[in-house]
Amino acid sequence: MASAALTDSRWITRGEERTSLSRFLLWLAPWTVLLALGAYAAGLCLYFGLNQTNMDNRFAFGLWIFLDLGIIALGAGAFFTGFLVYILKRAELRPILNTAVVVGFICYSGAVGILGIDVGQPLRFWFTFWHPNTHSMLTEVTFCITCYLLVLCLEYIPILLRNRQLRKLPSFLVFEHQLHKLVPVLAGVGTLLSFFHQGSLGGLYGVLRGRPFAFRQGFFIWPSTFFLFILSAIATGPSFLMLVTATVEKVTGRRLVPQEVFRRLGFISGSLLAIYVAAKSIDTLIWLNVTSPSVGFAPWQYYIYKPFGTPILFVEIVLLGLVPAFLLTYRKTAMRRGWLLSAAVLACAGVLLNRFVLTVQTLAVPTLPFDEFLQYTPSWQEVASFGGVIAYGVIIYSLSYRYLPMFAPSKGENTNVSGD
Amino acid sequence: MSARYGMVIDLDRCTGCGSCMMACASENNVPPLPQATARTGLTPMLVRKASNGMEGGARREVFIPIMCMHCEHETPCVKVCPQQAVEVDKATGIVMQMPQRCLGCRYCMTACPYHARYFNWWDPAWPKGMEKSLNPGVASRMRGVVEKCNMCHARLHTAKEKAAAAGKREIDLADYVPACVEACPTGAIRFGNLADPNDAASKEARSPEAFRLLARIGTEPKVYYKSKEAWVRALAESKSGSVPEVKRVEAGHAEVQHG
Amino acid sequence: MKVSRRDLLVWSAGAAAGLIVTPVPWKLLDDTSIWSQNWPWIPQPTRGPVEMKQSVCTLCPQGCGMRVRMAAGWPVGVAGVSSHPVSRGALCPLGFGAHQLNWHPQRLKTVRHRGGASAWGDAQAAFAKACKEGPVVVIDGYPGRAASSMLESFAQKHDGGYRVVLSAETRALTPYEKWSGVPASALGYDLENAKTIVSFGAPLLDGWGAPGRFTRLWAERAAGMNDPQLRLIQVDESLSRTASRAWQWVPVRASAESALAAGVARVLLEERLVAWRGPMPSLTLAEAAERTGLSADAIRDLARTIVARTPAVAIGNGIDPEIAALNVVLGAAATPGGIVRRSKRGAAYVPADAAMPSVRAALIDASVPWDFAPQTDAEVFRFAAWDGGSSRADWLLPAPGFLEELMDVPTAPTLAAETYAIAPSLTKPPAEVQSAAQFLGGIDPSLTPVDKIIHSRCGNLFHARAGTLIGREATPVAKIASAQALEEQLQKGAVWVGEAARPGGWRCELKEWPAAASGPPENLTATWSAPVLPPLATKLYQESSLREMPARRNA
Repeated sequence: MASAALTDSRWITRGEERTSLSRFLLWLAPWTVLLALGAYAAGLCLYFGLNQTNMDNRFAFGLWIFLDLGIIALGAGAFFTGFLVYILKRAELRPILNTAVVVGFICYSGAVGILGIDVGQPLRFWFTFWHPNTHSMLTEVTFCITCYLLVLCLEYIPILLRNRQLRKLPSFLVFEHQLHKLVPVLAGVGTLLSFFHQGSLGGLYGVLRGRPFAFRQGFFIWPSTFFLFILSAIATGPSFLMLVTATVEKVTGRRLVPQEVFRRLGFISGSLLAIYVAAKSIDTLIWLNVTSPSVGFAPWQYYIYKPFGTPILFVEIVLLGLVPAFLLTYRKTAMRRGWLLSAAVLACAGVLLNRFVLTVQTLAVPTLPFDEFLQYTPSWQEVASFGGVIAYGVIIYSLSYRYLPMFAPSKGENTNVSGD
Repeated sequence: MSARYGMVIDLDRCTGCGSCMMACASENNVPPLPQATARTGLTPMLVRKASNGMEGGARREVFIPIMCMHCEHETPCVKVCPQQAVEVDKATGIVMQMPQRCLGCRYCMTACPYHARYFNWWDPAWPKGMEKSLNPGVASRMRGVVEKCNMCHARLHTAKEKAAAAGKREIDLADYVPACVEACPTGAIRFGNLADPNDAASKEARSPEAFRLLARIGTEPKVYYKSKEAWVRALAESKSGSVPEVKRVEAGHAEVQHG
Repeated sequence: MKVSRRDLLVWSAGAAAGLIVTPVPWKLLDDTSIWSQNWPWIPQPTRGPVEMKQSVCTLCPQGCGMRVRMAAGWPVGVAGVSSHPVSRGALCPLGFGAHQLNWHPQRLKTVRHRGGASAWGDAQAAFAKACKEGPVVVIDGYPGRAASSMLESFAQKHDGGYRVVLSAETRALTPYEKWSGVPASALGYDLENAKTIVSFGAPLLDGWGAPGRFTRLWAERAAGMNDPQLRLIQVDESLSRTASRAWQWVPVRASAESALAAGVARVLLEERLVAWRGPMPSLTLAEAAERTGLSADAIRDLARTIVARTPAVAIGNGIDPEIAALNVVLGAAATPGGIVRRSKRGAAYVPADAAMPSVRAALIDASVPWDFAPQTDAEVFRFAAWDGGSSRADWLLPAPGFLEELMDVPTAPTLAAETYAIAPSLTKPPAEVQSAAQFLGGIDPSLTPVDKIIHSRCGNLFHARAGTLIGREATPVAKIASAQALEEQLQKGAVWVGEAARPGGWRCELKEWPAAASGPPENLTATWSAPVLPPLATKLYQESSLREMPARRNA
């Protein structure tokens, strides 16, 4: 048999073993289809307009904004890990750093991509930069997210340049080395930018006087949701990283990072989550008893609509907040991988629920006394576009894992469960 | 002296006919959207209905024309627009939307508690030839931008031109009548300069029967409503406000309590 | 010199960096925003000289005064005329979109014969042939116009009938024809002098009569008042718009209006609350209570309330003899504040839905409601400006659209005095359209054309020396210099109003209490009769929940 099998082994990091190219392509195939479907749906929206979605004048923000806020929160692991490793010198988290950067890159570039189709006039994107409104949280978000995406690109490039073939170009090697020196600076900048935009995403809703369900008092110009969003993002970012790494380990059949890293991530996530739960509970009490009634809205009226009753508060704060915080920090459960990962899932679900409540439930809840509680179901174009982003993320990560030294040299059998 | 143009809408007079909606759409070159629904329609003036919550003979309903309230204080949409496509005009108090600068992010639509902003979900289109019937004083918009009531600013512009041609600095308020005010068959919508204490609308806005929707949110809307009925005035508050009962005289025949 | 890959990379990077400091990318960015404002498919309004013209809305026989803003010769906006004695500055919601009707996608532009395209010549030949072969009936939806006069003359000459579709408001006056000999179209309601109005389901504030007439009256005398000068009592099955604004809403079961009228009349007669004496309704109070869902006491209360402030008048929806009889009981027939006779016209119109004899052809004017279908096998020649769909006409003939032809405006239905106005045409019609009157004028040149009829009517008005011409000011006709001057004023938007009806001169004889109305009452607001709605009407029906899309009466 002629060994005419297509191979890309010269692109794979020396010393690493990866599955055959054909199996890899087989793995990529369904994700590529999903990506193509997403691109098609996005194309429909760009060509025909936003009437392709099920958003309307009452649900001006829908699935996309909810998922955007969600993936930016989950992608906070990127800046936070950088902060912990480079600023706080927590070297034990180094093994996860590359994953953090790539996950961050995927989350932010995906979010920016979706935002590009979520606006009615994408060609006018630059107006925010040219006519910025200093009072608007969205201006702040736009600036910081764009700058931070740039930072992530700059952090991703050194990883890219460590590819076996690219390393061979001396100018790239020098470039990569120089960039590498910049990384602590980038980490610092990234932390600052992320602090502000994670906060401003919360501020987006906290400043809405016209939506007492979301409106919060705060500190100076920043509503409490500003700080709560930062806290919830840095609390769940590490959990998300843990889940991504665990998934990659499962798919590749290898142990890629020491278990200790998981425990560390879990502990950081859990402790921050505990602080967040405390802060959120206080904030909720203030909102229920002071802020909302002061603008004429008795809190009970928000929760009379099934299934969005008061159990949602309980689920968000206790079931998906306090419980994972406990599981991630309590020694007995934190030692066990199964408990860690389950808790991480709960934590991530909690932050997604929080974003959902603030983006979707805010719009469903009536403001005028003769409004009704409204329903909204995303259209297939909205779901497919987001499916495309997920596919994009899987493809980027798969390519990064295959061709770049994402982790320290891996141990463990090449069991090849599926794909790479 | 700068003006503060506002409205007082007498809900005891509004019959819910919809003439104001049609006149507004005609004046402002709003496209007809047969494919739209009540949630995606483009109605800068929209008449809504509220009831006292009862059924049968005790039921009472009221029609409430809703348009941009031209909030004066901490105007929600102005504060949140990322590219300053909307501003409060200092000279008139009118909240001016610039569709040419709008990115279509719809943040202002989530900020507005009155749901008075509308998005162009489709390309504005008219049947062939119907563009000849468009009002030349108003620019047409494009797909993907937000629009709303602008107090018939084109008519203010015409009034200013007329005053300038006569060599005057101030406009004659009789020349500036928004389309909805002109169209109302019962005269329920009154328009005037709220900053002028002698203005008729301004006086009505200060009467005890006048109220504003969601006044406690504190945005100082410049559209007032008035009614003799207490249950209608209770609509100023959110659902927490209590609704006075209508006294039932007997089954099938109820008497309204005025006052 | 060898260009290496590395050189290429370096040069590209340098070029990219250098480009940023040139105006190119910034200008391109600026241009994109201009492009996105000026795509060629974004509609632009016409540019041209702007002027205000005045005419009368002809969408329905009420004839509301209309100011039309014209730009470059096209109508770009409409508003009411505040000095108009009938509409008092108001227009109905559909009127505000009327100026766009002429471009409605369903505008009829060519002659259609049994679904296929045809030509005027063929239609004329076919019609001329039909006239020779047998009687032709002519159906008019807007009687009293100069064009109606042409239609009627033609029908008389050709042994056919001239039939009329009367508006629902006028039809409600039909019972008085039998009792007094005065045709319904000569009667009106003197609402301006009434103190109590009992409306049995008639949407007085929502599409009854000219929109401005009652809404302005009610706004001045009743809206928001604790003790209004005009008491509006609305009898309605559900809380209609009029009921929700009325001084009192009387909820009754569906189709029980007749029974309520009978019950009230019985109370008025038994308790001698009225001066009139005559036959008693056959329904007992208990039966009336049973049918309406009200208690007997409630009906008694209602009767007493009605006569507490007189004059009181009852208005029904459609033909209801018992409600008409109630008016006789109330003494509202032939008195101020009630039913008055406004014109000397003696002949009643033949309704279009009366049994039709066998005819060879039927000619239907464009003013006839779209859902009207003649019960005949004859060849139907139907004129219309818009194709409302599902027409059973053999010939569909394109007629002039909105304000595209000179029309005159006879007395609006329900008014207490006669009126006359002229609706000048404001835009030129497309070449292929022809009104029914013009068509008949072409077939029979001996018929006097519309403009000459209008001219002679103005002459008659002038010579009668009666009434007032209401324009910017009110001028008695006696003071007008010439018939020419009168006509000119009318062309400019003035309205001639006849003298208020004098009491007496006719009377109603009620020998026995009439039988109840057959069939349920008409629902004026839930059905519609135009072939198409103005395009902007989507604001009311589809784009909001303000109104439910009305159903066609005969789909």
